Amino acid sequence: MYRGTDLPSDGLIAVVKRDCPTCVLTAPVLGDFVQRTGLAVYTQDDPDFPETVPGRIDDTMLDVSHRLRIEIVPTLIRMRGGQEMDRTYGWDRAEWERVSGLTAIGPDLPMSRPGCGAKNIEPGIIEKLKIRHGETGLASRRIELGGGEDEIEAMFDRGWSDGLPLVPPTEERVLRMLSGTARDPQEVIGLCPPDLVPATVEKIAINAVMAGCKPEYLPVVLAAVEAVLDEPFAMHGVLATTMYVGPVVVVNGAVRRQIGMNAKGNALGQGNRANATIGRALQLVIRNIGGGRPQEVDRATLGNPGKYTYCFAEDEEGSSWEPLSVERGLPQGKSAVTVFAGYGLQGVVDQKSRDPESLSRSFATSLMAVQNVKLAPACDVMIVVCPEHERTFRTAGWSKQRFLTRLHELCEISGEELISGAKGIAEGGPDTLAGKMVKKFRPGGILIVRAGGGAGMFSGIIGGWAASGARGSSPVTKEVKT
Amino acid sequence: MADLESRGIPSVGVATTEFIDAAAVQAKSLGIDPAYVFIPHPVQDRTDDELRALADVHFDSIIALLLKGNQ
Repeated sequence: MYRGTDLPSDGLIAVVKRDCPTCVLTAPVLGDFVQRTGLAVYTQDDPDFPETVPGRIDDTMLDVSHRLRIEIVPTLIRMRGGQEMDRTYGWDRAEWERVSGLTAIGPDLPMSRPGCGAKNIEPGIIEKLKIRHGETGLASRRIELGGGEDEIEAMFDRGWSDGLPLVPPTEERVLRMLSGTARDPQEVIGLCPPDLVPATVEKIAINAVMAGCKPEYLPVVLAAVEAVLDEPFAMHGVLATTMYVGPVVVVNGAVRRQIGMNAKGNALGQGNRANATIGRALQLVIRNIGGGRPQEVDRATLGNPGKYTYCFAEDEEGSSWEPLSVERGLPQGKSAVTVFAGYGLQGVVDQKSRDPESLSRSFATSLMAVQNVKLAPACDVMIVVCPEHERTFRTAGWSKQRFLTRLHELCEISGEELISGAKGIAEGGPDTLAGKMVKKFRPGGILIVRAGGGAGMFSGIIGGWAASGARGSSPVTKEVKT
Repeated sequence: MADLESRGIPSVGVATTEFIDAAAVQAKSLGIDPAYVFIPHPVQDRTDDELRALADVHFDSIIALLLKGNQ
């Protein structure tokens, strides 16, 4: 039963718009219905349409269309006793005859024509209607600003910002953001540190709005949040540590292209909306849901610029190596995010190596400097291999696994060199290291991603957190679910 | 610590004075009031002997906090 008194409780209802050729096509039929049986016609865009129906009803506010849950126009509905008995949409003579109970209608029209999208479900309109009809389903408290308040400044003043301006999370924008996922807005993705607050899809969507995300990025943001809130990632520790790290987000699979992420030139840099805002949304979630703020529970000594945002896509096309998500156990073709507690970027410049052994040694030598050459084992690392370096491995037939194995072999150092005081440096380990060979990285402690522009033999190392692995943070991979 | 205490295991946090604010913020956000002993900052670069001396200085106050309410 429909609320309100303006809907006829018996007879036929049609909802149309002039901007739909199929509606225009059926205008004579609607005029014929008026003559034969009576009909209430609601018009969505032009109160003068259809001219064939003198008593047409203006629904340019779309409230009736919304109440009737119209999705396609024209829609023809038969009511009895205030109940909807039947409906059809688009033009199909047999269907219209069935719903109307009339015969020989529209003899000059083709048998059928598909309808058009209804105006009341257009993005930007459906949200307004839900708000007006009290159907948002949003649980968050509303914050009213004074008439003279600048909304951008008001958000800074309330401490929501990472230091850059935010997009105001109006009900309309939050609803539109939520249209990016089929998940229930009140579903809890995890407990967000440091305050251990339930991170609901709705709360995450609000932060995605503030970060500047499009609705289609939301599933990636949700997967990233789910990943950092997974126990092995130890988000609480990553936040609270005095070290540099924050979550680094790597995206794999079809979603990269669907939302226009950058995996090529300047992949780790500025300029791509999806890369920039997904990573930012994740940081805002920790700040605004979890309450994690610098100089409070976030004790970073320096932090790193990636704590504004640190998100990029793997360049899978043309690579001979399996994507990171596949290496980490997800089926090929699944969209996924992997989070890694990392910081900064240390270059691996090698413009001379044309064989994989030489290039592996270049990488290994550079890797030994992570944290400090005097420290081993060190943190986990993520290596971002540029396409021109990957080509060297590809043409020599080196799999990713072979490269990894070689790196672990090469990243080894004699204990004597690590002892405190060796090389005139107090930093280092105990005397008991003497006579031992020490691995720089734990097994599984090197991740490899391929990204970057087609020109330039410049790869990168993203250093991790000293507390890598079971005693701190391990990388986590999650499938992106829509 | 909140987890330990909830299981009836007494706990005391030991941290350097640089973390007084952090401990207060975290305790407030979790709604707990943990026992803390704050020692001078820094500790990372101290020798083993210096660390032992530091531990000796604070040992009694740590034990006292662990036993507080049980005597």
